[in-house]
Amino acid sequence: MKRRSLLCLASAAAVTLALPASGRADPPECEIPPGLLEISLKLPHLAERLRARQPVNIVAIGGASTKGAAAGPPDLAYPHRLQLALAADYPEVPITVVNKGVPRQSTQQMVERFPTDVIAEDPVLVVWEAGISDAVRGIEIDDFAAALQAGIDEVRNRAIDIVLVDMQFSRRTSTVINFEQYLHALHRVGDLNGVYLFPRFEMMRYWSEQNVFNFDEVAEDERARLAAKVYECIGVRLAQAIRAAVQ
Amino acid sequence: MPEPSTSRDLRLDFFRGVSLILIFIDHIPENVLSYFTLQAVAFFDAAEVFIFISGFTAALVYGRRLVTKGALYATAQVLRRAWQLYVAHIFLFVLFIAEVSYTATVFKNPMYNDEMRVTDFLNEPHIAVVKALTLEFQPNFLDILPLYIVMLLIFPVILLGMQRHWLLMLVPSAGLYLVVQIFDISVPAYPAGHVWYFNPLAWQFLFVTGAVLGNHSAHARSFPRLPRLAFWTAAAVVVAALVIRVSWTIHGVWEPFPALFLTELWPVNKNNLAPLRLVTFFAVVLLVAALVPRQARFLRSRAARPLVSCGQQSLEIFCLSILLSALGHFILSEYDSAITMELAVNVGGIAAMVVTARMIGWYKEMDRMPMPQPEAARPGGKIAR
Repeated sequence: MKRRSLLCLASAAAVTLALPASGRADPPECEIPPGLLEISLKLPHLAERLRARQPVNIVAIGGASTKGAAAGPPDLAYPHRLQLALAADYPEVPITVVNKGVPRQSTQQMVERFPTDVIAEDPVLVVWEAGISDAVRGIEIDDFAAALQAGIDEVRNRAIDIVLVDMQFSRRTSTVINFEQYLHALHRVGDLNGVYLFPRFEMMRYWSEQNVFNFDEVAEDERARLAAKVYECIGVRLAQAIRAAVQ
Repeated sequence: MPEPSTSRDLRLDFFRGVSLILIFIDHIPENVLSYFTLQAVAFFDAAEVFIFISGFTAALVYGRRLVTKGALYATAQVLRRAWQLYVAHIFLFVLFIAEVSYTATVFKNPMYNDEMRVTDFLNEPHIAVVKALTLEFQPNFLDILPLYIVMLLIFPVILLGMQRHWLLMLVPSAGLYLVVQIFDISVPAYPAGHVWYFNPLAWQFLFVTGAVLGNHSAHARSFPRLPRLAFWTAAAVVVAALVIRVSWTIHGVWEPFPALFLTELWPVNKNNLAPLRLVTFFAVVLLVAALVPRQARFLRSRAARPLVSCGQQSLEIFCLSILLSALGHFILSEYDSAITMELAVNVGGIAAMVVTARMIGWYKEMDRMPMPQPEAARPGGKIAR
């Protein structure tokens, strides 16, 4: 998000000297600027479930980048990577992450399938990746914000925790599509509701600036493998954020 | 070089120049400098300044033509201007197509299939081009020119109506604005589901207000002295809006800082020119009109010259600013997006705008100069306008 970019610019300078963001051995290419995953919000229902060592069901709802077809089978998409990372963190708790990514859907369309795709799964946490298709379709910001609010209310009224995930970054897409206002709106809605927003955009921008994943220089068939790596990093970092929010 | 006629209100040129520079800065996505533009400290942004002053100056310029050369000529001249804008819009559209086609061709990353749907219109160019010609297709940043074109198309009616009575245009305009606010009407665009980013049914009110004030000023009627109460009310509105908006900006950068009235006021609709934008903008206009005298010395200073020049050549510089921001963003995304590069792109773009404005000003000046009269006029020789 733009409002954060100043912070990131400052921290990017320091990052070469930075320590790994957590004590665990994270894949080196998933390096992120220090402080990016600082999280003060809590996920109380998930925390309670983990403490009681009861089964945890998580629904990841979103668009094409949640479905993850770019990497191949759903096992390589970020929701499954999130499941693996959380399972490693909480070996005594059965954890499943259900992937409800459907490409090309606006936020409003996602909200419409909340009853069947989210609530029916009886999750304790919803990871909601939204905004890409809204920007592509030029949906009015007010309508986008209202749809987000409706979705958040629907989930929270049922005592389910929620985490928002913002857009993917790419230098190339940003020449033809302007995410700025949508990104801004997404962060505002999260802020107003006290909902944690996972900063995927800022994270991927950092990887782009550091030239971590270079899609231009690999062969066509190598791209899926690279996409799987990006999704893995996102899953690992998302697990890290969730871990911090339940402590 | 001869000074421009002293009757010209340099405040208009100066503030329009400022708005053009800010439009350039704001149009580069993720630009660091946009922390320091109007949108970071006010509920409105450079678009309001630009449209308002455009209405004001249109009434000044074409009002004069109306008096000296008649309604038909004034109308023809307005329409000629609209045509120029239209051609500029098509030119910018072609550049946009080039940029998108290039990106769609070289960018084969499977992760961004949803995002790249924005290039879907390339699959139906026969429709996309027609929709661009009819102003319905307004991709990224090509949205303010269609508004300006429509405003000029209706301007002859506004101009003639204002001569009868200023309320004759202002009342229907305000009525339409209110209807749009109440019923949340928007104007459909292409592709299906899109709307006009600057809803002309709402934004016309700002343009007409500017025109009515400009018309008043064209007839050399001085504005009534602002009552003390109005001045202080406007000042209070401006200060309150400033404090609130700045608190949002700080909150965006540093979360512990409280964002005042964020729940109550956000989002502030830009498509339909939300009343909050309009009211705070008018308050600023009142303050500026009261505090910055027409003959303020700084308007003639060396420092203000570049901005005044840009404001005086607004059509050309506006188009150039859109072009430069697209180019600047392209450089940042394709080659290098380091902070130094970002600043260089900003500085380079602004310098290009200023230099171009000065060149155009010089050219127009030369064009206006009478041709040296040879002893015998050459047959068919062009006569200087």
